[in-house]
Amino acid sequence: MSTSRRDFLRIALAAGAGVGLSACGSSGPESSSGAGGGAGSAKGSASYWYLTGEPGEGIRTNTVDRFNKANPKTQIEATTFQNDAYKTKIKTAIGAGQAPTIIWGWGGGGLKSYVDASQVEDLTDWFAQNSAVKDRLFPSSFGAATIGGKIYAMPAETVQPIVLYYNKTNFEKIGAEPPQSWGDIMDLVPKFNAEGIAPFSLGGQSRWTNMMWLEFLFDRIGGTEVFQAVFDGEKDAWSNPASIQALTEMQKLIEADGFIKGFSSITADSNADQALLFTGKAAMMLHGSWTYGSMATEGGDFVSSGNLGYMNFPPVEGGTGDPSDTVGNPGQYLSISAKASDAEKEIAKKFFAESVLSDAENKEWVGAGAIPIVNGTDSLLTGSKDEDWLKFVYATASGANVFAQSWDQALSPTAAEVLLDNIAKLFQLSISPQQYADNMNEVIGT
Amino acid sequence: MTTGAPTTLLTVGHSRAGRTGAVTWMALPALVFFIAFGVIPLLGVLALSFTRWDGIGEINPAGLDSWRVELNDPGLPHALKVTFEVMILSWVVQTPLSILIGVFLASHERYRAVLAVLYFIPLLLSSAAIAVAYKALLDPNFGLGAGLHIGFLSQDWLGKDKLALGAVVFIVSWQFIPFHSLIYQGAVRQIPRSMYEAAEIDGAGRVRQFWSITLPQLKYTIVASSTLMVVGSLTFFDLIFVLTAGGPGDATRVLALDMYKTGFQANLMGPASVIAVILVLVGLGLALLLRRIGGGGASDSQLEGA
Amino acid sequence: MTTTATSVDKPAAVRRPKNSRRQRRRGGPNWLGGLAGWIWLVIVMVPIYWIVITSFKTQANYYAMNPLKPPTSPTIDNYQLVIQSDFAQYFINSVLVTAGAIIPAVLLSFLAAFAIVRGNNWFLTGVNGVFLMGLAIPLQATIIPVYLIIIKLQLYDSLLAIILPSIAFAIPLSVLVLTNFIRDVPKELFESMRVDGASEWATLWNLAFPLTRPALVTVSIYNGLAVWNGFLLPLILTQSPGRRTLPLALWTFQGQYGVNVPAVLASVVLTTLPILILYAVGRRQLLSGLTAGFSK
Repeated sequence: MSTSRRDFLRIALAAGAGVGLSACGSSGPESSSGAGGGAGSAKGSASYWYLTGEPGEGIRTNTVDRFNKANPKTQIEATTFQNDAYKTKIKTAIGAGQAPTIIWGWGGGGLKSYVDASQVEDLTDWFAQNSAVKDRLFPSSFGAATIGGKIYAMPAETVQPIVLYYNKTNFEKIGAEPPQSWGDIMDLVPKFNAEGIAPFSLGGQSRWTNMMWLEFLFDRIGGTEVFQAVFDGEKDAWSNPASIQALTEMQKLIEADGFIKGFSSITADSNADQALLFTGKAAMMLHGSWTYGSMATEGGDFVSSGNLGYMNFPPVEGGTGDPSDTVGNPGQYLSISAKASDAEKEIAKKFFAESVLSDAENKEWVGAGAIPIVNGTDSLLTGSKDEDWLKFVYATASGANVFAQSWDQALSPTAAEVLLDNIAKLFQLSISPQQYADNMNEVIGT
Repeated sequence: MTTGAPTTLLTVGHSRAGRTGAVTWMALPALVFFIAFGVIPLLGVLALSFTRWDGIGEINPAGLDSWRVELNDPGLPHALKVTFEVMILSWVVQTPLSILIGVFLASHERYRAVLAVLYFIPLLLSSAAIAVAYKALLDPNFGLGAGLHIGFLSQDWLGKDKLALGAVVFIVSWQFIPFHSLIYQGAVRQIPRSMYEAAEIDGAGRVRQFWSITLPQLKYTIVASSTLMVVGSLTFFDLIFVLTAGGPGDATRVLALDMYKTGFQANLMGPASVIAVILVLVGLGLALLLRRIGGGGASDSQLEGA
Repeated sequence: MTTTATSVDKPAAVRRPKNSRRQRRRGGPNWLGGLAGWIWLVIVMVPIYWIVITSFKTQANYYAMNPLKPPTSPTIDNYQLVIQSDFAQYFINSVLVTAGAIIPAVLLSFLAAFAIVRGNNWFLTGVNGVFLMGLAIPLQATIIPVYLIIIKLQLYDSLLAIILPSIAFAIPLSVLVLTNFIRDVPKELFESMRVDGASEWATLWNLAFPLTRPALVTVSIYNGLAVWNGFLLPLILTQSPGRRTLPLALWTFQGQYGVNVPAVLASVVLTTLPILILYAVGRRQLLSGLTAGFSK
């Protein structure tokens, strides 16, 4: 009947308008970060995802801009994410087949999970053909990029050892010296608390921040072999006496109120933990060297006036570890998505060869207080405004007997999640060192 | 009021069957949508629980592996415990308060106008917004309590296990008491005055009236509101995700959050699907249980005894 | 059931004398309820007040002054920061998603509800049962297969990815409310339409639609609010900033600016403003919408 046809059209139109509106939305105006709807969509452009947070964010963006200027026909579109959100987002994107062309990462176990799922390009041959690119870089940086003897990522950016920072003014307030050993640390704790200063700032909700403490304690007490056993999949590796001792010492520090009140709800992404240090609410902080740059910019004159002290993590009395060892990120790693088109892959490779760790970029890293993983950077350090800091980082990174990769990046994502979970509980004092060891022993080798 | 009396006797003209044929197709589009994005995913969750998938690579059938892994994981009973704690505590806090406030709102016309405007604002905020705001408010160093220098308020609310759970229950109540009190208000206003008048004549005081008349008459509303609270609390995700991300440690890791973390962070989609199946079963079970307690059809008249 | 339906439409004036008589008749004010009500009002208002005044303070001021005092020199810098952070884009996304989900959801539910009430066969009874069961399914539980389906449909990271599942999950409750409502429409009206020779389709639009309008509004509002405030679907099914909806944007903004409490609270206020405006305009409908189906 004519009436029903008309009415049917009315409904169809209404529903269609609703859906049509939404379809418009999915190809509608883009935000300023220029994401073309996920994987490199426009012809002649590749996509690249990386972390927010200065100074890294700005420097990465500049590198991309330089490349785009030099290559007007083949562009790279960048999208940024916060650290914790990124770790999940990149996985869902890869799983959805919508990974960016260039995948920023930490190498190690995370990279291995991509390799196992055939989601990233094998770059071994490319590096063989482009040896100039390979030879410029720190040889040690290729460790985390190599899975099963093949290279799956381009090492990039900077070495980032974990550093013990301290607020010199706070130390002067109580007339103390920076700690030279674990015993010193435990002694300082009540002294700072009496003054209303938190001994250590910590962004505990992020969990990997807690992990940095354990990485050092394990190393200082029992040497690198302790975690190496875990990584190699040895049974009951976590029940090693050195491991239990480290876990026990950790809880002792927490019980003594060594950390700022509320540390379990402070995230590292918001830089709240850094703020606690440079506003003087906390005396010390164990954190990555990348935070130097953001403290310099956000902390007023905290850094420039020389108020920021830094040192390697002190030894633990009676420990067998080498006090020169350090932990952290031996570099950042850029992989190429195996699902990208050939054109996109070529753009990415060009980017690797030409723009990543170019001289201009290296200068910017140094200017922000970080050491790019390029041979010979030490010559850039003299005369820079952060000379002392840079020389310290360089010495720590290159002088370390062993530079261990962050545990949550070395292990597989599944094991890493259990690890972070148990670390969080350990820091909450809701499980004992023995329980931690039992829980973690169950996932060794996964 | 017209009830569903046997209309076949009253039907004039087209037969019921003919009419049915004409309207049946109308239900199809909704059914299709619901099957596509409701029923199939539900079955899909069951299917996925028998696979091994890391979210990135291929999906591999794995028999009962994921079930074994998940059922042996101590995280699962813990998540169940946390979920039920939140559910029960929030019911215990919300229901009495909502009933009291609902009764109050039902009888005070003047205040109602003022209260109604401000009172229901929490309902309009998204869970994400509420979580973001409370995260700032409860910060032990920079929040409201710290700023006012009130020791009790500036505790490490979100950083200590028990306190975090309490904070979650409080915030949930803050968000939903207005809603439930609205429901109760509507229900109370439907109680016929005649019942109260009769009680007055019998000499019953206000308190007695409340217990003997108001509460029994609210029975079905209590069941409905409780069903909402209980089944709803199973799905808490947004608020807790933004507020504590399940922490500190796993003190607030409810089932839905456990599912998300297991699947999207630990790359264990199989076990995560197992959690999802459990979530569905618990939800269905609770809904049925409450219906049983509520005594069958909500269509029964509540006016018995009027 | 009819009582509630009509109570939405009847003006309050008709009821007022009855209630005040009831109040007097009860003898003595309701102390406990009143106390609870007022205390709870304070508990509700203090955080909201704090949120609003803090959003107008600068970060330095916020740390320095009493948190409950209004700002001495209010600033809109925080709001500007929020808007500069692409919140206009997120707002548009939220509008598109909400409209794109609710309009089809309500229309399709209306059609289905009409069919269920008017028809009588095993199929329609089954359909009704399926929808009723859907009420007890938590949306979160199906998110992993939904993710899979969206990927297979190549809709990942689009607004449609949020819309389609939202429609599906709005249907059960909408059908429940609408069937209840349509059942209250007197049978005689339907009969008279049929006697006039109208088809079911015509009856749907010319009779049921106008009569059901209050419930349609109700259902639209309830579902609209749920979709507007939805977080899980955008979290899992989108990735680009260009596709973000407001609740997700709030979370990322907080992650980035967490230390800057006034800015974070400004984002909360700004994202709630549209709903607040609607609330001011249509409070009665909004509230009746939120309690849809439960007063029955």
